[in-house]
Amino acid sequence: MTGPGIRGVTAVAVGKTARTAARLTGRGGGSSLPGAIARRMSPLLLSDIVADQAVPVIAITGSNGKTTTSRFVTELLRGQGVTVAQNRDGANLEQGVTTLAVQTAGWNGRIPDGTVLVIEVDEGALRTVAPEVRPRVLVVTNLFRDQLDRFGEIYAISDVIAYAAKRLPESSTLVVNADDPLTAELGLVGDHRRLTFGLEMDRSYGRITSAADSIRCPRCQGDLKYTEVYLSHLGRYRCSRCDFTRPPVDVGVVELVIEGLESTRLRLTTPEGDLEVTVPQPGLHIAYDVAGAVAAVLAAGYSLAHAAESLGGVGAAFGRLEPVHAGDHEIALAFAKNPTSFNTNLTTLAAAAEPKYLLVALSNTRVDGEDFGWLWDVDFESVVPNIDHLTISGLRADELATRLKYAGVPLDRMVVVPDRAQALDAALSRVPVGGRLIALAGYTPTIELREAMRQRGWVGRRWNA
Amino acid sequence: MSTQNLPTLRIAHLYPALLNVAGDGGNVMAITSRAAWRGMSTEVVAVGLDEVPDFSSFDMVFFQGGQDVEMNVAAKDLVAKGASLRDAAEAGVVIVAVCAGLQLLGRRYVPSVGDEIPGVRVLDLETVAGPTRYMQHAACQVTIGEQTEVVVGFENHSGRTTLGPEAKPFGTVIAGAGNNSTDGIEGARQGNVFATYLHGPVLPKNPWLADAVARIAWERKVGGPIEMAALDDSVEGRSHDKSLALAHSHAGETTVLKPAQLARGLTE
Repeated sequence: MTGPGIRGVTAVAVGKTARTAARLTGRGGGSSLPGAIARRMSPLLLSDIVADQAVPVIAITGSNGKTTTSRFVTELLRGQGVTVAQNRDGANLEQGVTTLAVQTAGWNGRIPDGTVLVIEVDEGALRTVAPEVRPRVLVVTNLFRDQLDRFGEIYAISDVIAYAAKRLPESSTLVVNADDPLTAELGLVGDHRRLTFGLEMDRSYGRITSAADSIRCPRCQGDLKYTEVYLSHLGRYRCSRCDFTRPPVDVGVVELVIEGLESTRLRLTTPEGDLEVTVPQPGLHIAYDVAGAVAAVLAAGYSLAHAAESLGGVGAAFGRLEPVHAGDHEIALAFAKNPTSFNTNLTTLAAAAEPKYLLVALSNTRVDGEDFGWLWDVDFESVVPNIDHLTISGLRADELATRLKYAGVPLDRMVVVPDRAQALDAALSRVPVGGRLIALAGYTPTIELREAMRQRGWVGRRWNA
Repeated sequence: MSTQNLPTLRIAHLYPALLNVAGDGGNVMAITSRAAWRGMSTEVVAVGLDEVPDFSSFDMVFFQGGQDVEMNVAAKDLVAKGASLRDAAEAGVVIVAVCAGLQLLGRRYVPSVGDEIPGVRVLDLETVAGPTRYMQHAACQVTIGEQTEVVVGFENHSGRTTLGPEAKPFGTVIAGAGNNSTDGIEGARQGNVFATYLHGPVLPKNPWLADAVARIAWERKVGGPIEMAALDDSVEGRSHDKSLALAHSHAGETTVLKPAQLARGLTE
């Protein structure tokens, strides 16, 4: 077994130092910069540290739910005494993953025996990262339309994941969402094992809306017929033309109760028996994230020991309808980046008769994308009757304002405040004492809003993952 | 004619479930909302696969963007709808087409792999798939009737379109690639058929254009000029101006955003 070599060990040292420096100076970038520097010095570093030393890796990719699924996997493993290192803060490109490896490795460039890496991987970076980490388990959460202006077409993403899946080592397991027609077919070709997860509910939670972006049969492009629609294009389906149908589910959610904006109660069937859990995060998507995480842990060869306690402690992550106490007010901060994550949040909110006071923010940046045409596929209409007051913010507040005007929000209930911190104050000034502000924002504005909340003393500098 | 006495404007929305990829459904919402704000009534009929309505019975038809897979499905289905669409265009029904809609209303689309896709020949144009994708904010100058305005949007296509003699430009490129990044033409106009590559969606952020095409449809329906009350378009105006500034910030380039290195055909 070869180690990282002298150049690699130096790169690890430089990366570790860069991370410390970035954190000490408070400049941020502590997540990606060290990996970027280390990769420049030693391009094969990630491969040297992880793949070549057969470090156990559980990788999670897909459009939505990567971060939450990763957190569930991590807690399920920690709950049974396994040492886990996980990339955080959405640092899920090559550089962020390399930072994780560098930070976890000792100064000798080796990751301690027994440590499992739980790695969230951006679907665009998977092609590079997968061969460098040779995951023992690769989880594909789902494929929704996400940043078309970055990827061109959703089918291109599907192709990349299929490519990575086909090259998984024989000993690996691919974990796929059976309810998503675009992921259900993944991993049927290749030497690895496969495990599926999904919902086993005899009722629909949604209908196929314009945000359902992959409702063609992946084999013959025929019309898919759904007996149940769970979330966007996820559901129980079969092709009207060929014999493509939803595959059997290995880990299935058979009971599901969403309790306000507080929690989700679930019962799952698994190859290891039934599991009942209450997760302190609301939403149908949480059911998928739990099922995917449980399947991943089983696929990696671990048990479900203490699973209910482990999952029961995982509160909303950074910007996942994260509850924040803000003086006389409450805030629920939700990060939404595409029609599906917006609609998922809006569905959860509508069920709780929210949002009454809403702040929405979007900015065009390299990570947030440039084209916000998809806003017209978000079902804002479903919550407009609940809205007492709306504050719109971000570099593309103009686009949001146009969309929400056409969704039916009266202009006298709407105010545009592009600056994020000022928007937060303006939005809260409309909320009565004891009331709750819902903040829905794209990636960058979520970070900015959270920073504004930190400056006001409402949240800490970092969040626990 | 006063708006209260106007008959209901009938709108066909072609493949709303299939071709939905860039929020272009917002174009239909722009027409229906603006009509409602003016006290004018509209009716939208979804036209899906295997349905062949008489398109001449509508006042407007929307045919919008989709991804390659959906475009192929639409192309096959469109064969049966072709004659009715050509009749409607001939009769002066206002047709608004975006991206894949523009391409399939033409004579043919030649993909980079696979067989050529015949279009329905409503527009005298043809499109050949190119090696790169144009993805950026874009702007063009559009003249309808006596008025000339700047229209903004977001282009995201790899097809290179060239117009034949029957088709006129929809607009003249100010920033962006337009039809092919070489001839400075954006989209196509032939009679009352308006075709563009601009997403955005294009009508909500260009309310002038929304009103101009709606006016043609209404006036054709009632056979004479109509009054359209002025609306407060300040919200839309800010969106238009911001998009124009973004388009100007990279004028002269053919693509600003590079698709991630995710070439199709990666899987053997």
